[in-house]
Amino acid sequence: MSPVDPASASASEPRRGSSLRIPLLHLRVGVMNELQYRANFAVQLLQTFVQVATGLIALALIFDHTTDLNGWTRPQLIVVLGMYNVVGGMIGFAIEPNMGRLMADVRLGTFDYVLTKPVDAQLLASAREFRLWRLTDVAVGIGVTIWGVVQLDDGLSLGRLVGFVAATTVGIVLVYCIWLVVTTGAFWIVRMDMVQDLFTGMYRAGQYPVTVYPAWLRLTMTYLVPVGFAVTVPAESLTGRLTWERVVLTVVFLVVALGVTRLVWRLGTKHYAGASA
Amino acid sequence: MPSDAAVITTGLRKVFRVPVREAGLAAATRSLVRREHRDVVAVGGVDLRIEPGEVVGFLGPNGAGKTTTLKMLSGLLHPTSGTVRVLGHEPFRRERDYLRRMTLVMGNRNQLQWDLPALDSFELSRAIYRLPEDLFLRQRDELIDLLDLGALVDKPVRNLSLGERMKAEIANSLLHRPEILFLDEPTLGLDVTMQRRIRSFLADYNRRHGASVMLTTHYMADVEALCKRVIVIHHGAILFDGALTDLSEQFAAHKTLVVTLERPTDPSSWSRYGDVVASTPTRATLRVGREATAAVVASILSDHDVRDLTVEDPPIDEVIELAFASAEAPS
Repeated sequence: MSPVDPASASASEPRRGSSLRIPLLHLRVGVMNELQYRANFAVQLLQTFVQVATGLIALALIFDHTTDLNGWTRPQLIVVLGMYNVVGGMIGFAIEPNMGRLMADVRLGTFDYVLTKPVDAQLLASAREFRLWRLTDVAVGIGVTIWGVVQLDDGLSLGRLVGFVAATTVGIVLVYCIWLVVTTGAFWIVRMDMVQDLFTGMYRAGQYPVTVYPAWLRLTMTYLVPVGFAVTVPAESLTGRLTWERVVLTVVFLVVALGVTRLVWRLGTKHYAGASA
Repeated sequence: MPSDAAVITTGLRKVFRVPVREAGLAAATRSLVRREHRDVVAVGGVDLRIEPGEVVGFLGPNGAGKTTTLKMLSGLLHPTSGTVRVLGHEPFRRERDYLRRMTLVMGNRNQLQWDLPALDSFELSRAIYRLPEDLFLRQRDELIDLLDLGALVDKPVRNLSLGERMKAEIANSLLHRPEILFLDEPTLGLDVTMQRRIRSFLADYNRRHGASVMLTTHYMADVEALCKRVIVIHHGAILFDGALTDLSEQFAAHKTLVVTLERPTDPSSWSRYGDVVASTPTRATLRVGREATAAVVASILSDHDVRDLTVEDPPIDEVIELAFASAEAPS
């Protein structure tokens, strides 16, 4: 072998460490990046308040004419609106920036650097860009959710709260899965920007429970976007509307989505040929 | 064949399937419905063997197959056929043990965090390669020292010049002290001083750590300074593989003689020795057939009172051009 010195030999023996270390360091880098642009924080805060205010005004208008919307009461819909902001904030904080970066990397050929690192490429590509200020959506969304919950007639039990936290986590993971599968299309098609826009547009419809929409739209929103799983199911668990069938379906859907996402990712990276030859 | 070579490939081949269509709106519309493809052979059966510690210049015009070969060696592309082993691994499997021992640097593509100091990106690399802190600090500081980065690593990368950024990129790519370096035009677009700085660093790094280096570049000065061995690739096939000095032997049919005389002579008399490139009564630059060089030198020395005489191979980029031209010429 080459006269490689002992230091390099030890470099090839990895230190034991958690795979979470890399996403956490990227999060730190993301926070440091965003802290340089304080103006973004003000703009984001304004945007969040405008969004929440228009949502609440729309609800007020609806309940001027009726006392329930397809079985949903006003406080329950406030919970849905709050959850819509929480999940939207999480998407904007962690999912959307990473998917955007992935598409740009594939287009520019810098995805080469992801594939030549000795870490799981899917993990690296999914958790390296974070937009800190989008957490304002999460914070305001939590506030709105709590405000809705305290107005609920039947209050909130511990069971419902646990179910809610689990459902929210599962919902966000599902959104990530579907979004990554679609973004992985960039390995074949290269330009996928319009898909991102389509997602954002469809997600906007999630500020009302998916059950208020006609069947075809409800199915699209539940399984394709899947804002139904991410917003409506957590809201259902908080408001005591969640059924056991729904829980089982959600878990099955999660397992299938995780498996399919991994498979599509593997196929995509295998297909990837770089932007230049 | 002994398998302790850094790189071994046999019949390495990569064929891309690319869509084709004619120009114009009608053709563009037709291609929406029915796409036609054709196969493009980017690398057509390459045999390579690179020993540990070797620095090899990988040369060829644009589209010759250099980058495709580097991508197959670094695990980014699956070969269409043939075998490839780098440091005992099949690169396309992208085993972590392999990825920890190699690095890929592309001159025109950044991986440092744009808005943050390079030191923060170095920390990320440390986590990715799982380097223990003491080893990381030692290797980081050595690279900062060798690349003269001390004053630059704590400035945001966006405030660095292109050359300074490239130095930081190189340091970031070498923190885990790879045993093999794939460098794709690392000096692209840099000024002459910065090119020289990076060249001397790479030579130094290779000497210190015995790493193998495979370098593609369009700057012949890089090749002359770093590579004892060059591989010339053209249309996906190897045209030449050997010592840089042998490249001239094989492709340059001429040598250049520069003669300075003690006393003036009739400038028109130079043409009997060879093609006159430039001449004055006391000095001439001549192009002489390689085979005839010794005889011409002997007769100039006997005919004139010579103050100085040098015999040179043509510049290396001219030789490379001759090599490409010989490949294009009908046999």
